[in-house]
Amino acid sequence: MKTLIVTLRLDPRKATLKQIQAKYGLSSNEVDANYGVVSVNPDEHLYTILVTEGAANRLKGLPDVAGVYSNPRIETFGPPRKR
Amino acid sequence: MKVIIQLRSSAAAHEAAMRGVAAPEFFTGLGPTVGGISIDSEFPPVQLEGVQTTSGAGVRSLSQPLSFSLDPAQSTYLVRGSIPDGPSQAAALQTAVSHPDILGVFSDPLIESCIVCPGDPPVGKVGNVAKRLSVSKLAKKKMEGHNVFLAIVDSGINVAHLKGQDRQPKLDALNSWVPSGVGTSPGNHRVSHGTMCAYDAGIAAPKATLLDYALLLSKTPGSTAMAGLLSDAVLAYSRLRTILNGMPANKRAMVISNSWGMFSPSWDFPPGHPGNYGDNPNHPFNLIVASLEAAGADILFAAGNCGRDCSDSRCAFGSAPPICGANSHPAVLSVAGVDIKKFRVGYSSQGPGRLTAQKPDISAYTHFVGSKVYPEDGSTSAACPVAAGVVAAIRSQYPTAKLSPLQLRSLLFKTAEDKGSKGFDYDYGWGILDPGALLSALP
Repeated sequence: MKTLIVTLRLDPRKATLKQIQAKYGLSSNEVDANYGVVSVNPDEHLYTILVTEGAANRLKGLPDVAGVYSNPRIETFGPPRKR
Repeated sequence: MKVIIQLRSSAAAHEAAMRGVAAPEFFTGLGPTVGGISIDSEFPPVQLEGVQTTSGAGVRSLSQPLSFSLDPAQSTYLVRGSIPDGPSQAAALQTAVSHPDILGVFSDPLIESCIVCPGDPPVGKVGNVAKRLSVSKLAKKKMEGHNVFLAIVDSGINVAHLKGQDRQPKLDALNSWVPSGVGTSPGNHRVSHGTMCAYDAGIAAPKATLLDYALLLSKTPGSTAMAGLLSDAVLAYSRLRTILNGMPANKRAMVISNSWGMFSPSWDFPPGHPGNYGDNPNHPFNLIVASLEAAGADILFAAGNCGRDCSDSRCAFGSAPPICGANSHPAVLSVAGVDIKKFRVGYSSQGPGRLTAQKPDISAYTHFVGSKVYPEDGSTSAACPVAAGVVAAIRSQYPTAKLSPLQLRSLLFKTAEDKGSKGFDYDYGWGILDPGALLSALP
């Protein structure tokens, strides 16, 4: 399932997955619990979660949602492949 | 020594040049030697247009306005020959230039195709790279990576393989990381790309403490063997920042080597979309890279393998600039690839970069026989850890408190061996990493 990265500005005391799910009404099928809540910039209280595309679309514009971003595939560059 | 001989205009030379094939009667008329130079009679004479400056003075610079004429009377004719090597060369040359029919004698150096492409055999060995990196000079100054964390963010490291290649790597398994769902542990992953990167970083920094961040061990359905998602990179970087922040401020030394990225813009939202990664400084991965560099980490990214001469078959950027996302981040060192003969490898991605135009930053060595993981340690994937090893070696004596990541990058640029256009260019960046010169420039 395609996932997107959502950034949130949160009070560090409220930056748990359980609290985020409750705040935005996210079901456990919509959030990657293994990924959890990851701090991007502690000084700015910026965190990320990983959610389904449908959930990400619902979160756009809601309070404390800083943005919805792509979660592109990445690969090792090498070994170089002949065209 | 092979030479090019410039002959004065003559009807015979012009007629032979017009035929465009070797003209035996012309060369017979010229004689087997002219002024002590043996003539190559298989090489047809070539007409060189007469050239004049607008002022009528001699040509001093190719930058001045010039006019050319195909009039045979004003043309000269080039033939090929050879002069003896050794002590008699100077006298032979003197005789040649005194000959009334000869206007000049010029070197005819050997030229060859020097662009290395995917699938080409390796150029040189790891020993050549170590010499180019002045590794023995670094070691004499106790710059071998002691007390420096060197994170290999890749497909995992296999320590046993490194030991089999006469390396004694020090791995901090506790501070290493494996994405959830991966069955192997740090230092014990399958031998692949990440092991090659660890080996190449160890050329200059054999005593660094390796952190094994096996980001690209696939757990994504349908993906290739060494792929992942950028969200895992956000997670990995968050952990690295926690480790870095836990180090005493005066001893912080962490180098992060990244030989990965995107091969296709179709994997991303398009440029201009608020959720885009490749062109968007606000993407959380680009933010966390900035945050980690601000905390004192030296972050290196491979420029990529989408060079115009012979790009990797996976490249799907078309005519768009391929150095994107964190690979083009202003707070990282973007590394292009050169072979040990100091030529850019044809697949090394060229600038401009997407997040910041002036990319790649610097070039480092690749496409040599090294780790034995692959026939050659190739791609900008090898160039990046080669450079990361040098940075880690310097950090043994210069923790971040003494020299910030930005200051170190500036010194690397200033001391790089300039290649390509003068100063910065989109092929080589500021030039080829030159640790020997860097040592002299350190405060």
